[in-house]
Amino acid sequence: MDIPFDIGNISGPEMGRVATPEALGRAIKNAKRPLLVVGSEILEDGLIDTAITIGKKGIPIAATAHSMQGFVDAGYTDNVHLAGLHELANNIKSPDWMGFDEKGGYDLVVVLGGIYYSMSQFLIGIKNFATDPLVRCVSIDRYYHIAARMTFNNISRKRTDEFKELLGRVVQSI
Amino acid sequence: MLINDFAKNPIISTGGLINNHVRIVVESNKRATFICNRKDTSSAGIHCMIMTSRDNGGTCMTKTEKKGNIELEALKDVVVNIGGIEEEEEEWEPMGPTPMPGMADLRDWDYKLMDRYKPFYAPYCEMCCFCTFGKCDLTGGKKGACGLDMAAQQARFVTVACLIGCSAHTAHGRHMLHEILHLVGDREIDMGTAINIEAPLTRLVTGIKPKKLSDFIPVLNYVEEQIAQVMDSIHTGQEGSNIDYESKAFHVGMLDSLGKEVADILQIVAFDLPKGDPDAPLVEIGMGCIDETKPMLLVIGHNVVPSVSVIDYMRERDLEDKIEVAGICCTAIDTTRYSDKAKIIGSIGRQLRFVRSGISDVIMIDEQCIRADILEQAEKISAPLIATNDKAMHGLVNRTKDSADDIITILVSGKEPGVVILDPVKAGEVAVRLVQIMHEKRKGLVHLPTDEEFAEYVAMCQNCDANCVIACPQGLPIGVANKAAAAGDIEPLADLFDLCVGCGRCEQVCKKHIPIVDVIHKAALPAVKAEKGMMRVGRGPVLDTEIRNVGAPLVLGTIPGIIAIVGCGNYPNGTKDVYLMAKEFVERKYIVVLTGCGAMDAALYRDEDGKTLYEKYPGDFDGGCIVNIGSCVANAHIHGAAIKVASIFARRNIRANYAEIADYILNRVGACGMAWGAMSQKAASIASGVNRIGIPVVIGPHGWKYRRAYLGRKDVDEDWMVYDARDSSQVRIEPAPEHLLLAADTLEEAIPLMARLCFRPTDNSMGRQVKLTHYMDLSMKYLGAYADDWPVFVRTEADLPLAKKEEYLKMLKEDFGWDVDLETKKIISGPIRKMDVGFDATNLEEMLKENK
Repeated sequence: MDIPFDIGNISGPEMGRVATPEALGRAIKNAKRPLLVVGSEILEDGLIDTAITIGKKGIPIAATAHSMQGFVDAGYTDNVHLAGLHELANNIKSPDWMGFDEKGGYDLVVVLGGIYYSMSQFLIGIKNFATDPLVRCVSIDRYYHIAARMTFNNISRKRTDEFKELLGRVVQSI
Repeated sequence: MLINDFAKNPIISTGGLINNHVRIVVESNKRATFICNRKDTSSAGIHCMIMTSRDNGGTCMTKTEKKGNIELEALKDVVVNIGGIEEEEEEWEPMGPTPMPGMADLRDWDYKLMDRYKPFYAPYCEMCCFCTFGKCDLTGGKKGACGLDMAAQQARFVTVACLIGCSAHTAHGRHMLHEILHLVGDREIDMGTAINIEAPLTRLVTGIKPKKLSDFIPVLNYVEEQIAQVMDSIHTGQEGSNIDYESKAFHVGMLDSLGKEVADILQIVAFDLPKGDPDAPLVEIGMGCIDETKPMLLVIGHNVVPSVSVIDYMRERDLEDKIEVAGICCTAIDTTRYSDKAKIIGSIGRQLRFVRSGISDVIMIDEQCIRADILEQAEKISAPLIATNDKAMHGLVNRTKDSADDIITILVSGKEPGVVILDPVKAGEVAVRLVQIMHEKRKGLVHLPTDEEFAEYVAMCQNCDANCVIACPQGLPIGVANKAAAAGDIEPLADLFDLCVGCGRCEQVCKKHIPIVDVIHKAALPAVKAEKGMMRVGRGPVLDTEIRNVGAPLVLGTIPGIIAIVGCGNYPNGTKDVYLMAKEFVERKYIVVLTGCGAMDAALYRDEDGKTLYEKYPGDFDGGCIVNIGSCVANAHIHGAAIKVASIFARRNIRANYAEIADYILNRVGACGMAWGAMSQKAASIASGVNRIGIPVVIGPHGWKYRRAYLGRKDVDEDWMVYDARDSSQVRIEPAPEHLLLAADTLEEAIPLMARLCFRPTDNSMGRQVKLTHYMDLSMKYLGAYADDWPVFVRTEADLPLAKKEEYLKMLKEDFGWDVDLETKKIISGPIRKMDVGFDATNLEEMLKENK
């Protein structure tokens, strides 16, 4: 059994499936309206570059916590939207929310660079309540996320280079 | 006597006190009159509990209070239990509609709140294991064996958490009441000349105006009864609606606030604690503030009565300067309210580290937030443990009836590692005498790793990055820091000290059995020894006179808001965050109030002039001031301040008038609670009570684990319709406040969010300018961008901050498509609503002028 990053965080019988970067990339590519959700840890280890690369593929970015600072500093704010994680979860699961571009809700949420325990709760909220219409969640973060449909396993900060290489493969597959 | 049949021999069961004072005249088998015969003219009522039979054979129970006579008609098989005689009350205010409300009485208000702030659930566990049908998998829309669904189970769990918290505060109050009546007797409640509204929550919720401490007995009776009633609803096969469980959680939160008010007023009156003194003394705080050359008594918990006995014993023997008494958690705050020579170690995060340091010669515990393994930790440092409260006895022998001499002999000999002493006076004597002996006996003991041991431990660490990191609630990079220390750089390890919440989960799973908590402590020792702050002693209530000064500016918005930094110490990024939050807002002339762990942790940091916030800013309840209200139970005074605004400034009746006052506060009082490190069940009940009375709360990221938020949708027009009470018209207001309870991830996110949650529909233009100035400025400062929702708070060009008016008008025109005349600087169209100076916002139909 894969171990949650917070070891006691076992919530139920269905746990996230560890997936390859290519599978994660394909899931994002095949989504009709994907949304990338990033948190404060996007400002570490150059992860913001990955987020911007994904954003340039036409995927909108919800910048939660204070991650917007990173995008402003990098000069990339097109299609980057300031959002609180809690409020965002509530919006995503609401069938009448029309998204940041007011063209409709999202069918796939991808998370990267969030604080583990708050992002885990964000995912579990969407898993259980964003069901009609269904919104799928995947994680390309360095944590094993129990509530994501597909996720990486835990990747130690000692292996950040390896993590970034995996992210590169995800981006290539989108 | 019991009444079986009115026609035959009426039997009445009496409460003892009133024998011969009540006469029952049976006129027929359907009618009886109870007449109070007391000659004492101060007596004017009979409290009766009457059980009657229904026609279908069932029974019902009614409770009545009446003056003079009580008439019962159409009865059968009546059982009457007559309680005490009530003293006649002066009519200080007309009784409102909901004295001592039950679960259903404020349900409409709860539903109104939740119509706008719908519960959002993030389950912390997707199963239910409450009964032996389970465990039940509730994912995918499945119901449990009892029919309960995921949402209802989350709400049910939230209600349980609130019940635990409410019980803690209320039982603490009840426990103190017993002790206080025994120790000091029944005292008149005198909160000083600057406070007329002595107990705003008691008046608001129960309709009682307490004059003496024993007047709180019916208040506690009410709370305790309600706790049992709500707990009943948790049982299998009770409530099925998540919204009704949420209503119950709100109800328990309200009860919790009441229990807290009782507890704090009891201790303020009994022990002559500060009564709203803005110039309350400053006391030392921090792990480095202890004089280790003196005997040191550590007190941990929340119930100050034993600590008061310690202080009294020392004062009688002139020992206050000879013994260090310092505490952790709210007992520390309240002990320093009694004696400014006592000190504070810090909040809950410091508990394990300080105990392990071995500085304490004796540890005395009372209740709440004490480590469950405190006895084991005390034994490790050879410090005897004295348990003074029946809620936390830790398997120790109860020696309450033994002599102090015998107890001391046993503990000094080490025959027993600790004792239970439930008599606070005896506990005080034993603690003071024992600590002097143990200080001599314990000299020379070493507790933290030596330099050699430290080097061995950090070298031993394999940086497996497996067990300790995933056991740590914060996910701290322990292995990386150990490796750096082994290479000669101890700073990464030392930096972990403040980020660590002191739980010890890491040590249990380390394959090398490294005492990680102690290793981090050792690395941080210089900083720990330098940890010396100053905190202003908890002042208790807000003065009525202060409310007179700030009421109008608060409601109109020229004081931008009240920021209440409260709650536990489970912070995402160490203790400095609460200091930075308080500093940011006090510099912007918000009223900043603090309690509990938040109040303590904010006191640890100094500015470039070497001053802590409490030394730099006054302690008045006013803009630009830092106010330590006190301990966890003192949180009630924050509710009290808001209630006083309604009563003193707006002249609303507060007696048993909860919904109206909550409606007033929601629409007018720009306050925002911040529980950055919320961890406990008490925090859950505190937040629920604050929410019910109309004040939003932001919690830290660990707060997602409370399972439930109350979130508004600013894009849904119908959620923001309120009445204008003047003409009953419905007005679509701006989302103010937008949410009632939500988490923020980081300090940088939380600060602009708190500013945003201080907007209220009744802000005048000057007030709106002030609030917008801060919101926009804080967004840019901390997020690097303006929020894209800021125009919702603009009703007219007069709302725009003067310094940036032109810039903002241009943004409204170009970025948001508003019709703006840039030459005349006028907004033609775009705002959600026009500015209306006399707008009398209410959510309650009964407040409409036509209905009054």
